[in-house]
Amino acid sequence: MEEEKFSGEESLQLIQSMINRAQDKFAENGHLYLLWGWVVFICSITQFLLQRGFHLAPDQTWYVWLFTWVALIYQLIYIRRKRKKMEVRTYTGDIVAYVWIVFGITTILMAYILGSHQQSLLVNPVLLVSYGIPTFLSGIILRFKPLIWGGVFCWTLALVCSWVMNDFQLLLIATAVLVAWIVPGYQLRKKYKLSNA
Amino acid sequence: MFKDLDPILHSQLRLAVVSILISVKEAEFNFIKERTNATAGNLSVQITKLKEAGYIEVLKQFKENYPQTICKITPAGVKAFESYVNSLQTYLKIKK
Repeated sequence: MEEEKFSGEESLQLIQSMINRAQDKFAENGHLYLLWGWVVFICSITQFLLQRGFHLAPDQTWYVWLFTWVALIYQLIYIRRKRKKMEVRTYTGDIVAYVWIVFGITTILMAYILGSHQQSLLVNPVLLVSYGIPTFLSGIILRFKPLIWGGVFCWTLALVCSWVMNDFQLLLIATAVLVAWIVPGYQLRKKYKLSNA
Repeated sequence: MFKDLDPILHSQLRLAVVSILISVKEAEFNFIKERTNATAGNLSVQITKLKEAGYIEVLKQFKENYPQTICKITPAGVKAFESYVNSLQTYLKIKK
């Protein structure tokens, strides 16, 4: 770039093109949506099969969810590595990250509080309401409609839970993450590959 | 005609750097270099000028044993950029 004075029009064009160029690469690769989508999908289907197929009680099957701690450890390592490679930090990236941190903390707290008050029947609908919040907000921030609809879908299934038996609510959880995280995750991955090709 | 425009910002490369930094939270030297197509030497000189004017903050650190330069716009830089754009708009309106 030449170091010289330039006209007002050129100056505005330069500002516009630089702002666009700073944000032209789509930064969300969908990896964590796919990770958590598949982890929750596998855990809920496994718990459903254990309860309906092997007739085990929920207090004997909730252990399958311990698998999420493995995913959490993997996620922490993944984010640490990703941050080392990052050349730029955007405001949207930071906001989306904090939305999901808040979701993680509130979900763990709600699951613990409901469990300790013997309100296990409420766990699945409350989880579905909570899944919808970060999904919807991420969709708005990233301007990505599949996530917005995914969030709305989670809230709809939370209402459907009122008419569904507890065991079958696990299938609603699996359907929710399939629609809200797994499908948008693959779409985000495709979009990321195209934008960074 | 451009007497009201901030001379620090009214230079192609410095304006490009500030425009990039206004739209992100922080960026590495190499990211700015790639986006502006500038040479490392020229970019380094202009970044120092912006830093001396108090428009940007420059943080030097090590990442896996390699030096890394991170740039971030300051509140003074944001204010200067806003008044630069305002003056430019006023000038362009008068011209029309």
